Amino acid sequence: MTRYKKQDPEITRRKFINAAMGTSAGVGVLSLVSALGSAKPVFRLTADVAPPMKGDVLVHAEGPNQGQVVKASELSDKLVRAYPKGRDSKGTEVIRDKDPTNILAVYKFAPGTLKEPTKLDATIDAQIVAYGDRCTHAGCNVGDDPKTSGHMFCPCHSGQYDATQGCRVLGGPPPAPLPQLPIKQEGDQLVVTGFFLSRPYGFNKEEDWEEYIKKVEEAMA
Amino acid sequence: MNQWLDERLHISRLNDKFLRKAFPVHHSFFLGEITLFSLIVLIITGILLALAYEPSNSLVVNSFDPGTPDKQNLIPAAYHSALKINAMPFGDMLRRVHHWMANIMVAAAVVHMMRIYFTGAFKKPREINWWIGMLLLIFAALTAVTGYILPYDNYAFQTVGVVYAIVKSVPWVGDWLAQAAFAGQFPGAGIIPRIYGYHIMLLPGILLALTGAHMLIMIKQKHTQPQYAKRLAYKKIVGVPLMTQQTPIMLILALLFTGLVMLFAAYIPVHPIEVFGPPSSTPIPNIKPDWYLLWVFGALAIIPGFELELLGGSINAEFIGAMVFPGIVIGLMFAVPMLDRAKDNQYYAENPTNHPVRLAAGTAFMAFMLMLSLAGYKPDLIQAGLLTTANSNAILWILVIVVPVVIYFVTIGIVRMIRALREADERDSLAHAHADD
Repeated sequence: MTRYKKQDPEITRRKFINAAMGTSAGVGVLSLVSALGSAKPVFRLTADVAPPMKGDVLVHAEGPNQGQVVKASELSDKLVRAYPKGRDSKGTEVIRDKDPTNILAVYKFAPGTLKEPTKLDATIDAQIVAYGDRCTHAGCNVGDDPKTSGHMFCPCHSGQYDATQGCRVLGGPPPAPLPQLPIKQEGDQLVVTGFFLSRPYGFNKEEDWEEYIKKVEEAMA
Repeated sequence: MNQWLDERLHISRLNDKFLRKAFPVHHSFFLGEITLFSLIVLIITGILLALAYEPSNSLVVNSFDPGTPDKQNLIPAAYHSALKINAMPFGDMLRRVHHWMANIMVAAAVVHMMRIYFTGAFKKPREINWWIGMLLLIFAALTAVTGYILPYDNYAFQTVGVVYAIVKSVPWVGDWLAQAAFAGQFPGAGIIPRIYGYHIMLLPGILLALTGAHMLIMIKQKHTQPQYAKRLAYKKIVGVPLMTQQTPIMLILALLFTGLVMLFAAYIPVHPIEVFGPPSSTPIPNIKPDWYLLWVFGALAIIPGFELELLGGSINAEFIGAMVFPGIVIGLMFAVPMLDRAKDNQYYAENPTNHPVRLAAGTAFMAFMLMLSLAGYKPDLIQAGLLTTANSNAILWILVIVVPVVIYFVTIGIVRMIRALREADERDSLAHAHADD
């Protein structure tokens, strides 16, 4: 019976192998993660993905008149989808249709129909109003509610908005109203006078949206 | 030749180990096989489709309707190639078979899992295979979702928009995650090549690897034996061997099954991409995910919108409805084998009526999923006038909670009745047996 256990002064083979395997696994995972970083491409703010902004003209997004200027005279209480058309850095005209958030819903209501919380000074004669047309819930395009004129209905998860009252949420899961876009009339065309007045889909907080506006102003100046 | 091969590859050992594997003789054991056959047909039709498909969302001139030289009709290349597949001889048929097989694969997998659950086949030592089966179900659903984005028609476009929104809703990392998964901000220039990679390489690879593991473990552990095996030869494996007996049965089943699916694929069209048209901003009325994801869709539709800030991240209804809630449901399904604490290995399939609580919990769970799927029809129910915006959430929530509870107690009641009848039968036969003496 020995009183002493054999003490190996050197590192054991098992310890060495374990440490080596642990290290290589760690290095492997790290390098994999760094490779995964390339999965997310860099976002470049170009004119065709920039949000609707001051000076843009609204053009039809769909239908036979696609790409042509939306005329104030052809609007009604039925939704007309439009994209903003602006200019890129070289001054050529570009339709900003590469970002789905730029799709707009344009209405013309009878006088007296549009009410608060619509920002009436951002509409044309309190009759023509433009909203961002992506549901604030999951980003689906919102259409007219077939049952009530002036109401909007999202087919994805039944979000409902009242277009006559600042697109406030009437029902369903959307967390916020659709954003209103300030517009004015020049001749028969509609011209944007600023950014969306509230955050559009894709921005969780008002601050995020304001931060983004600042970035856009710097990049597009 | 057999000897030549045997000397090199030890076929006889393979024969003893695998090809003589005994298959239980009961029709419910074919459900897993049907799932496997669907996977094989899916891979074959998928390869054929991939040969004619162009994975790109860059715009090309629509060769079927080129427009005018000054205003060309541009559509995404992926959508264009899907149109071309439809125009190819049997191309539409190929798409239909692929589509229906995918649906049937998930359906067969679900029914297969029901069989496993209700007969207690998930118990020790088969917990690992239950978990692998769960992973297979999840990855099958993911593969199917990526698959129906590929034609890149307007339906796919709206769908991938919602999927993107769901990924984006993860607090803190959502934005990065969504952009990494879908190649940039929606709809990135590389979104279709990315999803193509997922659908034809990554996910099928995972599915095949998991299927291999699932079957190897099943061969190693053997099937649970049906009840008749207990009476026939207790603690012995009873069944027909794979080679020469089960193989022709499997072949007949595979051919019959594929033939049936082909037959109804010939009559039931799928997903008319021409009708939906290329990606646009026009919303699609009645847009819905496939039936096996309808419950998530339903949960999203009835969870009221909210947002709360937590340590700089925002948690919203979408995250709860499409990530946390399905996570809990799937977690529960994962936990099923852990609810059984028996130390002994389970050899025989159990009669569900001998385990009323498990049976009732299972039926209640199915009722829960069905009611959530019904909630997925909320937009249609509102439009049809059956529900109103004001009362829809309340009514659907009551259905989702009350119906499963009712089903639970009804099941328990029915099981009690069955057992009472069975006991009466036994008493009866016992009494008659005595009378015969």
